[in-house]
Amino acid sequence: MVLLKPTDITARGLILLFYLVFYGFLAALFTFTMWVMLQTLSSDIPKYRDRISSPGLMISPKPVTALEFAFNKSDSRSYETYTASLRNFLASYNDSKQSRNIVCTSGQPFEQKEDLGKKACRFNRTQLGPCSGLEDENFGYAKGTPCVLVKMNRIIGLKPEGEPYIQCFSKEEGKVQITYFPAGGTIDLMYFPYYGKKLHAHYLQPLVAVQLAINSNSTKEEITIECKILGSPNLKNEDDRDKFLGRISFKVQMSE
Amino acid sequence: MGKKRADVYSVEVCGPTDLEKIDEGDERYKDLKGNKGKPKKKDELKKELELDDHRLSVEELEEKYGTSITKGLSSARAAEILARDGPNALTPPKATPEIIKFLKQMVGGFSILLWVGALFSWVSFGIQLAQGVDSAFDNLYLGVVLALVVVLTGIFAYYQEAKSTNIMASFSKMIPQQALVIRDAEKKEISAEQLVVGDIVEIKGGDRIPADIRLIFAQGCKVDNSSLTGESEPQSRSCDFTHENPLETKNIAFYSTTCLEGTATGIVINTGDSTVIGRIASLASGVGNEKTPIAIEIQHFVYMVAGVAISIGVLFFIISVSMRYKILDSIIFLIGIIVANVPEGLLATVTVSLSLTAKRMAKKNCLVKNLEAVETLGSTSIICSDKTGTLTQNRMTVAHLWFDNQIFQADTSENQTTQTFDQSSQTWAALSKIVTLCNRAEFRPGQENVPIMKRIVGGDASETALLKFSEVILGDVMDVRSRNKKVTEIPFNSTNKYQLSIHETEDPNDKRFLLVMKGAPERILERCSTIMINGKEEPLDSEKAEAFQTAYMELGGLGERVLGFCHLYLPEDEFPDTYPFDTDSMNFPTSNLCFVGLLSMIDPPRSTVPDAVCKCRSAGIKVIMVTGDHPITAKAIAKSVGIISATSETVEDIAKRLNVPVEHVNRRDATAAVVNGMELKDMTLEQLDEILNNHSEIVFARTSPQQKLIIVEGCQRQNAVVAVTGDGVNDSPALKKADIGIAMGIAGSDAAKNAADMILLDDNFASIVTGVEEGRLIFDNLKKTIAYTLTKNIAELCPFLIYIIASVPLPIGTITILFIDLGTDIIPSVALAYEKAESDIMNRRPRNKKKDRLVNQQLAVYSYLQIGIIQSIGAFLTYFTVYAEQGFLPSTLLGVRVNWENNYINDFEDSYGQEWTKYQRTYLQWSGYTAFFVSITIEQVADLIIRKTRRNSIFQQGLFRNKVIWVGIFSQIAIALILCYGLGSVTALNFTPLRVQYWFVAVPYAILIWVYDEFRKLLIRRYPGSWWDKNMYY
Repeated sequence: MVLLKPTDITARGLILLFYLVFYGFLAALFTFTMWVMLQTLSSDIPKYRDRISSPGLMISPKPVTALEFAFNKSDSRSYETYTASLRNFLASYNDSKQSRNIVCTSGQPFEQKEDLGKKACRFNRTQLGPCSGLEDENFGYAKGTPCVLVKMNRIIGLKPEGEPYIQCFSKEEGKVQITYFPAGGTIDLMYFPYYGKKLHAHYLQPLVAVQLAINSNSTKEEITIECKILGSPNLKNEDDRDKFLGRISFKVQMSE
Repeated sequence: MGKKRADVYSVEVCGPTDLEKIDEGDERYKDLKGNKGKPKKKDELKKELELDDHRLSVEELEEKYGTSITKGLSSARAAEILARDGPNALTPPKATPEIIKFLKQMVGGFSILLWVGALFSWVSFGIQLAQGVDSAFDNLYLGVVLALVVVLTGIFAYYQEAKSTNIMASFSKMIPQQALVIRDAEKKEISAEQLVVGDIVEIKGGDRIPADIRLIFAQGCKVDNSSLTGESEPQSRSCDFTHENPLETKNIAFYSTTCLEGTATGIVINTGDSTVIGRIASLASGVGNEKTPIAIEIQHFVYMVAGVAISIGVLFFIISVSMRYKILDSIIFLIGIIVANVPEGLLATVTVSLSLTAKRMAKKNCLVKNLEAVETLGSTSIICSDKTGTLTQNRMTVAHLWFDNQIFQADTSENQTTQTFDQSSQTWAALSKIVTLCNRAEFRPGQENVPIMKRIVGGDASETALLKFSEVILGDVMDVRSRNKKVTEIPFNSTNKYQLSIHETEDPNDKRFLLVMKGAPERILERCSTIMINGKEEPLDSEKAEAFQTAYMELGGLGERVLGFCHLYLPEDEFPDTYPFDTDSMNFPTSNLCFVGLLSMIDPPRSTVPDAVCKCRSAGIKVIMVTGDHPITAKAIAKSVGIISATSETVEDIAKRLNVPVEHVNRRDATAAVVNGMELKDMTLEQLDEILNNHSEIVFARTSPQQKLIIVEGCQRQNAVVAVTGDGVNDSPALKKADIGIAMGIAGSDAAKNAADMILLDDNFASIVTGVEEGRLIFDNLKKTIAYTLTKNIAELCPFLIYIIASVPLPIGTITILFIDLGTDIIPSVALAYEKAESDIMNRRPRNKKKDRLVNQQLAVYSYLQIGIIQSIGAFLTYFTVYAEQGFLPSTLLGVRVNWENNYINDFEDSYGQEWTKYQRTYLQWSGYTAFFVSITIEQVADLIIRKTRRNSIFQQGLFRNKVIWVGIFSQIAIALILCYGLGSVTALNFTPLRVQYWFVAVPYAILIWVYDEFRKLLIRRYPGSWWDKNMYY
């Protein structure tokens, strides 16, 4: 144990005190400037959307690692995570959850002027047909016709032009038949624009279900599916660097 | 101890006794040459004794060297020998091979740390590649960039060093020496380097002896052996074999000594390194070169920063591992921390700053050979200076006159044009006539337009002084001489100690002859019976003789060389027009003359020196005079330049004043000391230490150049940083031993220049003082540079720490950090080297090399823990602002790292419910990098401004005095703009074009930095010595 001289203790104490005050002041200043900065922000919409001019595509369910589905259609445990994830995801599309949502006019953007409480458009799970999970709680995984939901990222204020629809194709010809729900993979314009989490609390983004009927002779093979958003000039899908901008590609490997 | 010390001066190869000792005792040289190559050295020294050419007759010599004294060697034969022996030049000290120098730069300083970083990058690249991670190549590039940084800064440092070495090389080539040689029976002028053994060379007054030469013909030849033996008295040379010892015999002249007058012809017997001087020089090269103070400081700094880097790195490696990060990730964090902590550009900046100062010094006549020596001069606490030529003008000048019982003072400044003492007396008229006539010196023709004091004169030093003196006063001396035609003369010789001449007078009516005489005052007085007072001859009674004695003693006591002058008008009847004067039979009177006056001469101090010494004194630098001159002269000069101040006394002075024996005086009462070389020889180490310790004003007189080494070592034992000036070959050990050796550019020998770290182009002591000032300034400015550079390291480091602990998206990337360290920050940190001093630079003591570190605790703490932290939070504010305004509020950012960086999460939700793809997030992350980078740049501008001063307010220093700072600021912002907007589209650089307002987010913090620092400086100025001062002043 080293005994410090009293002068040492005072000196150290002073230094400690100084840094306490100094950092206390800095912390306060930082907090204050952060507060000022946050005051300038709206809680409804972000100030800028510089980096997200065009939405990305994403699928559900999302395999844990990478975008590679691998399951055995006769082994329910092998696709359990996918179906659970789908059920979970679609739960918010249940009619019970959509009681406040209104039926909107299809085919045109649903712009709302009033500031508070933007209405959300209804999206019926039934539109997803066999992929809705209402009839087949295994979403076709047990039958070798797995469903994958394709959704477009939410971006505040985004209004797609034209008639956007999702189209997927397999790189390998003839191994898989793709069916879209709603038919043609269309995304209705009435779900746009999005007004943000706070104003548009019950908003549900439109979904396109893609059912993959994998040929029985193509089992155990890895099938690459690429989906794109088409039909809308302001939604990019060919970006060199961003592989998920308006498109997505995933792999499916099914065994029996 | 004392015994051991004696070893050192036995290098003095001047005494015949020493030479034999050298043969027996190899041990004696251990101080000078280290342990290696002992047998070789011994052989060489033996060879020295085998030199027997002085004993041989001319015929034997001709036979031995296959030459002819009339025809010389044939060109072909000479070429053969040249090929065998090599050129006649001293081999410069063995240079480190270029490749070694280069490799040293590659591993020195922070390089090792960066290499480790690069290695880690490659290892993680390898692992990630094997795992098939997409971003693996980022690590490969990072490693390549780090390696590139090391290599480029290494190349840069190497280039800088090479450049300063080249200055030296060009300097030594500026003055190629020529030699007049007989070859193929023809006289030829060839470069002295081409001389070979057996060549017949001719030498005349003023030449430097081009090799060791056995004289075969000599006429009135005198040489100055001071560069060899330290003895400044000219020595005559003839072709006679006068001594067994080759160093003592008169018929050998040595390489690098100077022929003062006369002519001689001789056979070259040794060339280059085998000459006597060459062998001494090679001994000197064994003296170890001390590490320069700035090198020690930089090493200290490197260790400190590396220590911080490694400890933080390891600490966070452990933290991240225990936070269950993957080892590989932890290693990548470690690289980031190292890169953030290491100021990559700093060592290059230091080199540039030093070379800028070196350039500035070169303009002020200090040529720096070794860049680091620039600063050494600034930390110098003792200067051991030569007298002749450095402190003095190196020419005799009339300083005082005594006539009419009165002492008159003459102007001794460098460019005198008139003399102002009272010249109305008739005695002066008589005296000036004697001075003019009794003088054999003459101006070399064709110098009418040259100022009198600068004209070249044929004649010895005293006569030159007298000639110039009378030319200044009387005008055309040659005209006066031609009007008073010389009839006969007796030149000065050492037995008579007088010089006499007899002239016709210029007055056509006066047919008398005028006999004029000058010489040693006591000898002159002996021959006089009368003395001239106010133009009248008066009998020389004892009272007047007493007055003469007093004046003589007084002038002599000033260390001046005194000459007496007398004359006699020969009676016309005894000595008619046609009288045959005969100097052999002395058929004219040489006694009962009329004494006219005394003139005293001295080599006066350079007019700038007293001021320079005074500056040294106020700068706390002790100036020690080390001279081969007589103690009285040395002391007089020391007093006149202020090395011994007017009020201080030596022990001898006190003894004289109190009229007690020297032994009874308390040595500590005396502030000054004049130490004779003879006393020094018998001193023990302790005695020398005591003298160096107890006296503030010291003069070493009658010292040999070798004793300088002992004095230097003594000073170094007092923990002083010692600067030594020297010019002779024998000074080279002292020059090497000194912390900074300063060789004379004009008078210096090549060996001295080789051994020195710095060359004084004008040989002027005052230039050293300006060098000291520059050196101190650069030390202060380097402090500022380092403080400036270290500050942002925290702002670069914090992001990594927050990233690891809070798992926010990475605020700044490694590459971006490199762009700050090697991009925006470089010019500003160099600009600090141009900062002017904060007023008191030459009024403070030299830094204590143990205590006043370049990078002290205060500097590190203030930079790291205060300004650095302010910078970091300023930059974080910008970072959070960018993310918040784009949709990610700070609360959303915490803990997102894993998902944020997941390549397959492409619907990452922000605070507003929007969803982001990975690339969109990455692009946002780069915007964050850019914003963080921009903030650091903006805050570094404030940092740059506050670093201009350490104590003074910016307003005292002036914001605009240092224009380069503004160049720095503009360059910094320009580079940031280019990176942000110009290269924002180059993905590999991770910059993105930024919204303009983000440039201003950190401005309040920049202002805070400036205000806080002004506040700090204010308290430091207000409360010196307070707790605040001690902890906040760096």
